Parts: sequence; C-alpha cells; structure tokens
Amino acid sequence: MKTVVLMKQVGNKDAVLRINKEGTWIEEGDLSYEVNESDGYALEEALRLKEKHGGEVVVCSMGPQRVKSVIKDALARGADRAIHVVGDDLARLSPFAAAKVLSEAIRSEQFDLVLTGLQSDDNGYAQTGVILAELLGLPHATIVIEVDASGEGLRVKRELENGWYQWYTMPRPCLLTIQSGISQIRYATLKGIMAAKKKEIREVAPAEAATASTSHQRITKIYFPQKSKQTQYLGDGNARAGAAELAERLRTEARII
Amino acid sequence: MSAVVEEKKLIVGGSFLIEERRPEEVFTPEDFTEEQRMIAETARQFVDNEVQPRVPELENHDWELSRELLRKAGELGLIGAKISEEYGGLGLDQVSNALIGENISRSASFAVTYGAQVSIGSLPIVYFGTEEAKRKYLPRIASGELVTAYALTEAGSGSDALAAKATARLSEDGTHYILNGEKMWISNAGFADMFVVFAKVDGDKFSGFIVENGPGVSTGQEEHKMGIKGSSTRALILTDVRTPVENLLGEVGKGAKIAFNILNMGRLGLGTSCLGGMKLMLHHAVRYANERHQFGKPISSFGAIKKKLAEMAIRTWVGETMIYRTVGMVETATSDVENSDAKLQAIEEYAAECSLIKVALSEDCDYVADEMVQIYGGYGYSADYPAERAYRDSRINRIFEGTNEINRMLIPGTLMKRAMKGKLALLPAAQALMDEVMSPQLGGFDEEDEILAAEQKLAQNAKKIALMTLGTAAQKYMMNLAEQQEILLNVADTIIDAYAMESAILRTRKIAQAQGEDAAARYTDMTRVFCNDAIQRIEAHAKDALAAMVEGDELRTLLAALRRFTKHTPMNTVVARGRIADVLINANRYAY
Amino acid sequence: MSKGILVFAEHRAGAFNKTSFEAIAAAQSLGRELQQTVTAVVLGAGMANLAQTIAAYKLDKVLYAENEKLAEYTPDGYADAMEGVVRTIDPQYVVMPHTYLVRDFAPKLASRFGKDVISDCLRATASDGGVIFSRRIFLGKMDADVIPSGEPPVFATFQSGAYRADQAAKDGSAAVETIAVEVGEVRMQPEPAFQEVKQAVDLSKADIIVAVGRGIKGQENLALVEQLAQALGGELAASRPICDAGWLPIDRQIGSSGQTVAPKLYVALGISGAIQHLVGMKNATTIVAVNKDREAPIFDIADYGIVGDLFEVVPALTEAVKKLKE
Repeated sequence: MKTVVLMKQVGNKDAVLRINKEGTWIEEGDLSYEVNESDGYALEEALRLKEKHGGEVVVCSMGPQRVKSVIKDALARGADRAIHVVGDDLARLSPFAAAKVLSEAIRSEQFDLVLTGLQSDDNGYAQTGVILAELLGLPHATIVIEVDASGEGLRVKRELENGWYQWYTMPRPCLLTIQSGISQIRYATLKGIMAAKKKEIREVAPAEAATASTSHQRITKIYFPQKSKQTQYLGDGNARAGAAELAERLRTEARII
Repeated sequence: MSAVVEEKKLIVGGSFLIEERRPEEVFTPEDFTEEQRMIAETARQFVDNEVQPRVPELENHDWELSRELLRKAGELGLIGAKISEEYGGLGLDQVSNALIGENISRSASFAVTYGAQVSIGSLPIVYFGTEEAKRKYLPRIASGELVTAYALTEAGSGSDALAAKATARLSEDGTHYILNGEKMWISNAGFADMFVVFAKVDGDKFSGFIVENGPGVSTGQEEHKMGIKGSSTRALILTDVRTPVENLLGEVGKGAKIAFNILNMGRLGLGTSCLGGMKLMLHHAVRYANERHQFGKPISSFGAIKKKLAEMAIRTWVGETMIYRTVGMVETATSDVENSDAKLQAIEEYAAECSLIKVALSEDCDYVADEMVQIYGGYGYSADYPAERAYRDSRINRIFEGTNEINRMLIPGTLMKRAMKGKLALLPAAQALMDEVMSPQLGGFDEEDEILAAEQKLAQNAKKIALMTLGTAAQKYMMNLAEQQEILLNVADTIIDAYAMESAILRTRKIAQAQGEDAAARYTDMTRVFCNDAIQRIEAHAKDALAAMVEGDELRTLLAALRRFTKHTPMNTVVARGRIADVLINANRYAY
Repeated sequence: MSKGILVFAEHRAGAFNKTSFEAIAAAQSLGRELQQTVTAVVLGAGMANLAQTIAAYKLDKVLYAENEKLAEYTPDGYADAMEGVVRTIDPQYVVMPHTYLVRDFAPKLASRFGKDVISDCLRATASDGGVIFSRRIFLGKMDADVIPSGEPPVFATFQSGAYRADQAAKDGSAAVETIAVEVGEVRMQPEPAFQEVKQAVDLSKADIIVAVGRGIKGQENLALVEQLAQALGGELAASRPICDAGWLPIDRQIGSSGQTVAPKLYVALGISGAIQHLVGMKNATTIVAVNKDREAPIFDIADYGIVGDLFEVVPALTEAVKKLKE
C-alpha cells in the first residue's frame, strides 16, 4: 500500500501572537514553527498501515525552505521519501488554491491512499483534504479515528458529534482526514534521524495554473477576540446571596441552567 | 552558503587566556545541523512527555519506573549515542551528545539517573574496558536493559578521592579480583545491575573494576536528599565480591587516570545539564510573570521583574555560549581519533575549560533557580509549584563532580601545570604583560568599526587581568601556589569571566556576520550587559587578590594597570535589560 | 443573476439538530441586512414530513430535495444533491451550520463551483453591498475578517452558538416544495451509527465542568462538590494538586499536564488559577470562580466571581441550582 501524507507547518501553538503593522496577519518574525497537530497523527496512521500491510509512505508539504524541518522530521519517524512544493506565499492560499497546488504535486504518484489532518491549527479551514479528494476524483472520509485496510477496500471509523461513531466502507484509492489524538505518535529515534539524511526529498515548483487560481476569500483584518470577561463579583461577601445570584445569572445570562 | 570550509584547527587547551580567536574559529549553537536539532527535539519530547508527568512517582522511589524510562530512552537511541556502533551504540558526535544531555536535564532527577548510566557509569568501560567487557556490557547498557552506576566516593574520601579505603586482591588462581569496602552517594545504587568501582590493589594501587550486582553486593538505605529526590542514592557495600579479571578497567594502579578523566567529561556534561535546567526554569518564570497579575497588570510589565528575567536570560545565553564553544573544541579534537587513549588525551586538553564551565553554570543555575522562586513569590515557596523543586534540585550541582571550590583551584592549577609542561605558553605571555604593565605608556586605543569593539577591548583586558593576577601569584608563591586557596579562588573567578566575555562576543559577532547586525541586536544587548557587569566583578576579584599578595609601589603599579584595564564607560543596562526582557515576554518563552 | 440566501438544514434520526436552527437564524440575519429572501433546503428520502416542520420559520420557501440515495448521509450523495439544488436556485449565499456532517461534504460541494467555503464563521455583517464574515483562527486566539471574492455563490458555515436558535424568526408559514435531485454514484457505504461506552473520562467533551482545587482541603470534602456537579449535570474535575494527592484519578486533571477543555460552563472551586491550570480551561465559554482570595488569578479570566469560602458557597449554590431546575 502506498500512502501519501499531506503535512502542513504551522506556528507553534504556544506562541504569543502579535498582529502585524497592517493588521492583516500575525507578525511572523518571532514565530517558531511545528507540524500541524492532526497531520502528525495522519503520518502516524500511515506508518502503522505500512507496518501492517507493507508499502511506502510519501510525505508532501508545501511552503518555504523552513518547511523542510517538518519533512525531515517525518522522514526521521519513518516516512520513505518526500515531495516539497517550494514557494514563499503558499501558506496564504485559500483552501481551494492550496488543494489545487497539492493535487498537481501528487497526481503522478500511484497511491492507494492519501491521508492528512482534519484541519490546520492556524487557519482552521478544515477543507483542503476534502477539496483535494474532489480534484483527484477520490472518495473521502473526514474526522477518521480508525482505519482498517485488511480488506480490498477500506473500512474507516468516523467520529460524529456527541459521542456517536460510524463505520464507512469505500474503495481505494481514497482520501481520509485524520482526527488528532487517535494514537500514540512515535518519536523520531536517533537511528531514524540519521537514516533520514539519506532519504529523497524531491523539490517541485507549484504548478503555475494552480497558483494562478484566485483565492476566494481574503483576510482583510485580524484582531484579538473581544474579551467579554469583565468579572462580575456576586454576593458582596455574602456566600449564600452570591450563590443564589450566580444560579440566576447562569440561567438568564449564560443560559446554562 | 559557506563554500569555504574552515580547516579544522586544533585549539590548545587554556590558550584562550593568551590568544585571540576569530568568530569563525568558535563553534556556536547557530552551527547546529538539522540532525542535531532533531536529536535535541527527540530528547526534549521524551522528557516532557514520558518523564515530567511521572516525576512524583520517581520521587516516591518507584525505581521500576526509572528502569522503564531508561529502557525507553534506550529504544530511542538516547543512551547509546556515546557508544560506538560496534558495541550497539550510535557513536554520535560530541555536540549531539551535549544536546541530548541538555534536554534530558529538563528533569533534574531523571538526568542524574541518566547521567550515571550514559556518562560516569559506562564511559570507563568505553575507554578502559577489555574487549570482553565491552562486548558483554555495552550493547545492553545502550539498550537500557542493564543499569549501571559509578562508585568512587567513600565516607572518608570525597574531594580527596584517591584516599579511598576499598580494597581489591587477586584470587589465588588469578582469575578473579575480590573486592571489599564501602562507597557513598552512589547514584542509581537502588536498582543498578552493575557498578564501576574504584579500589586499591595491594593497599596502594588505585584501580577501576566492573562489579556486577550479585553475592556480596548490598546497598544501604536511600539517602534523604534535599533535591533530586527522584534519583536513587545509596551507599554500596562490597563484602568479598568476586569479579573476573577481564572486568579490570585499564591497568592495575592506573585508576586515577580513569577517575579523573571521567570527571573532566562529567564536568562539561554537568554544565550542559545545568543549561537544560536553566532554560526550563526561565521558560516557567516568563510564563508565570506574564500570567500573574498584580495591580491590574501582568507582573512581567514591572521593571523589577524585567530586570530579573533579563539577567536570567543573559546568564543562560552566555552559559550556553561557553558550553558549545568548548564542546566544539572537544569535538574537533576527538572526531578523527579512534584510539581511546588519544581520545582521552584530547579531552584532558580542555580540563581547565571543563572546570570553569562546571563552576559557572552550576552557580548560574542556582541564580536562575533563586530568581525563579522570587518571581513566583509565595507560590515559589509552595511545593505545588515548579519553582520549589527546581530550587532544591539545582543545589547539588555546586557539590558533585568536584565541588566548585575544588574546581576553582583546578582552573589556575591546570593552566599552570600545562605551562610547566610546555603545553601552554603562559609564562612568556605573563612576562610580556608584566613588561607592558611596567612600561609607562600603554599602547594606544585602536578604534574599530566592528560591533562590540569596546567589549572586545574589555575582554582582552580581562584576560590580561587574569594573567597579571595569576603571574603575580605564581611569582610570589612559586611551588606553594596550590596552598593559596583564597588567591586561587579570585584568580579562577577572573578567568571564568574572561572566558565568558570572549565567548559571548565571538558568538554575537558570528551571528552578525551571518545574519546581519540587526538580527544580532538582541544578542549584542546581552553581550554588552554581560561585559559591563563582568569587568566590574573582575576588578573586584583582582583587587582582592593583588592586595593580598603585594604591597607598596608594586601594589600601586599593579592597581594602576588594573584601573587602566577596567576603564570603561558604563552602559545604560536598564534600557538594555528592558529590551532583553521584552523579547522573552513577547515570545512567552526563552527565545534566544 | 444569483440572488437570495440558501440555508442548509441538517437532520439526523428524524430530527433537525439545533445548529440547523442557528444556521436559519444566521441566514435570516444576513437576509435582513441584505434585503434578500431565505430559502431552506432539506435533503433526504421519505422525509417530507420533517421538511414540513421548518416551514414554520420565517422563510421564503422550503425545498425538500429527494432521492433514495439520500436516505443515509454520504458525502458523495449530499454533494451531488446540493450541487443540483444550488445550480437550480442560483443563490448568492449558501449558509450552513459548521457541523461534522457539513464539514464532510461542503468543501466538496464548493469545489464543484471552483470555490471553497468561508468556514466556521462567528458573524456575518453587510458592508458596502458585500458581506464581511468573521471567523476565529489560530485555535481561537485570533479573529479574522474575511471578504469573499469571485462569482457567487458564496459558501459559508457558522459555528455552533454563533447565532441563537431561539432567535430564528418563526412567524412564517413557508411553502414546502419537493423536488427530485440527481445523485450519481455513491462510493462509500455507511454502517449504522453507534455510541460507545466511555472508557476513560474525556472531559473535553463535557459541556459543564465543576473543578476543585486545593481549597477543598481534604478528600472527604469532595462529596460536596460532587453534589454540585450532579445538580448542574456536569463532570467533576480537579487541578493538579488534587490528582497528585490521589484524591481524584489523573484523568480528571485539567491543565497543562492534564486535559485541555473548553466547556460551556467551568466552575472553579478553590482553585487559585496557576498558569498550568489556566491553559487547560481558559477557553471555556463561561467561567465561574469561587475563591477566598480576591487577588487569585482565576478571577482575571472569570465571568462570575464569588469571593468567599467554598464550604459556604457550594452547598448554597447546589440548592439554588436544584431549585431553578425544578
């Protein structure tokens, strides 16, 4: 089984974000980067499928040279080779354009399966994978938490809302978006890190037609969410009065009771 | 980028005191390869995910967990990095090993367990073990399957390690050594499978042995320690323990060479370990200062806290700079050397640097821990918050691997010894300096365009001060110098600061050359503040030493020279520290 | 020319879910601002009666698009059906709730039009003839104003709770029009949905969490807090010291070394609010803090604070909540 895993590099989750002078994006200068969380689980799933069923794991990522750290990390964890779509502005593409670039980059691979995370931790569109499936003519399933590839097709367990789940069966090749936290992600062992040095990273330019496709949504302004947290102190020192008042507020204002 | 590869040049140990270096000659963290960064990241993730959440269990003396964690570390390759591939390790470079050590030390308790395993407990076998012993033990040490420990200290012989009373005698059939004695403060003793033990053969031949846990081997109760409570520390009692002759390390009577060489490496490793702790403490401190509000503002917005955060960052960064400069020298000296003896010699070359790093980093670590507690305020004193543990854990670093006092003595002591052996041209340099001091006119102040020109001048002068003080002491006390401990402490302190100043300047210049002066600005701030303060410390130490050694005209002449050497316009450290703190506060982490 | 707003109403097990009514409220709000009509669409097989039930909302029309392949949700089926509907109606805006189901097919649908979805929006406001959509980015740390470009339709999904279901105007009695839609090959076969017995406590799924800190003083006092959690219908959780002490299992721990949660209500009892704890819960919608220390950092992020002894406050609160729920 040959699996392509799409992985995105995003700003560190713990980073303190600052808005740029134009107010249109964050200040990227002092940002450190990491792999998008759910993409890490997608890679782990691909590696586990390879261990079970054999085959190859190819990682594909797009962005400037700094994206190499995500790629090398994936190779160190056990991916066999990588495709790096190199370009500076690719991170700003809207999901349709991004999916277009990625679809061109992996189209020629004879894959059985494409895996990616369910959404990115920066823009959070939760769309690139699904659109990519459509562009490549693949069936897909999102928010997948378990994959059974023992049969001819693929049986996958999807997470629904409120504690519900559902199994889907679909033919290969297909695309799955993987939920975070479904497994224990392996470490890059030191052996793996040294072995990764010898693995192929193929650099490709984004397909021209793909980057030319316009973005359908443009961010005009970013800002911190308005803090509604003006703490209302209740009871004024009287515990019982405070408790009664609180219960009332939870019903009328917060609408929880 | 750098098509011109700098030819690897061996740097003479201790030569920093008498020679100038160019930025491209020193190794800095900016030179880490992608692989080295990834290795560091694996170590960090391992500790943060597997060890940190379980420190309370370790502190409850769950030694099965310690073993389990060592096995996991072994699976990842984190233990075998120093062991060659031939014996089941990975044979990685010194820089990778330092990075592993630094990151493992995010948990002080586990770092001790780990350090005993990969450093003092196994390197004697790597360097001095017989072929049989290497094959028998190293692969299983690398995998974490066998746990090892190092037993040198005894109740009556701590700093004076060679006064050990433990004995070893050859069995009558000549196949075994029979060991007897009691060792103290043995890390990992509670669950080790084997020990590297030092004992005297025939009453006076100090020698090293591998001893497996078995008949005749017992351990005492767990010590009730101030910190690193999640590591096992016990006495080791040997009663007629038989160990086969192939478990002798090196030669009979050559144990001191093993013990002291291992300590040299251990000191550099200890500095690296402190660095890992400092970065983590600073990380916590910055976050806490950003989250904790008083008077309606985060406390990180107050100057008093900013000053603390900035100084913690400066010491951490300068410490890191000194460490990796030294690790880089050791790497260059050992990378192409196959033979164990030659490798050890290469490491011994930098004994003075190792000692000064041990002293500087362990004291900086305590400083950072203390300020962390202070920033946390009342919460810093509560065992439910991380500062309290960090504060206790940090304290041991000034004690083990040779107390800081012993190591301070060793710094000028080693340099003088090397000078006497003709390995270091210290004496001609000292003579030339004395001529300069005595001559009425000092050379003109050469204007330089390069950044940190004033600091560079100060660093050169700092070295001169160190040399002047050491030279004066050597002249006055001659063969009795080693007994002048108070003077030597002062000399050591000037040498440490001189090395630190120069290291910081070289790193900042290297960054400026590679990334431009704008990118180097934040490092320039740290270097300038550090040099500004260091030269004042140096002046005080030198004054103290000189006044104790000479008097009258001689003292006046030397003090005049000291004044000239330390002359500088004080900088606005308030503004610079503010900028440094802002970098941390904005990034919400240690961002250097 | 494209005009009007099409709103997608999602149902499962024979009932519309609440977020569908929120989406209707969103569409209506947008309709008012743009002075455009709102049409709702329901997909299904044999669901005409259900479609009828949303006719009570103030809508221009309810479209019930039927095909036997729509009996069970599949992305292939829904994308085909919705594509047909959108092409027929030719709306300017397609509004959908940001549910797992919509996330599964909406991008596929939009890509049929060469577009993507403005997803997970909090607001939509008319401006200069167009609409500015606001959505949360960077895992909730930042908001972004987004404007669509290109030809209509504009596809947008709205976050649960962005609009209130009970504010969806209801005075209408829209006509329900049933149409047959084309659905091509459906490549995935769903099995029946099911629920799993919870193995460990997954606090991240809890809507209400009552958490306790060192202020509780002893394990024997936990019952007090449990009673409040029960009254509120929430899960019990704790700050680290409580779990370290073994008073509650580790899977109840909130914070950097425990679970990260974002419930609708988080009640922090006797928790001072160390950063390690705050990072695990500060994204809760409503935060209540009860603490003796007025300076405790937990109050900085609390919506409601009671400065006082939790041993007095908690029983009184339990009682008051019970009374309100009666």
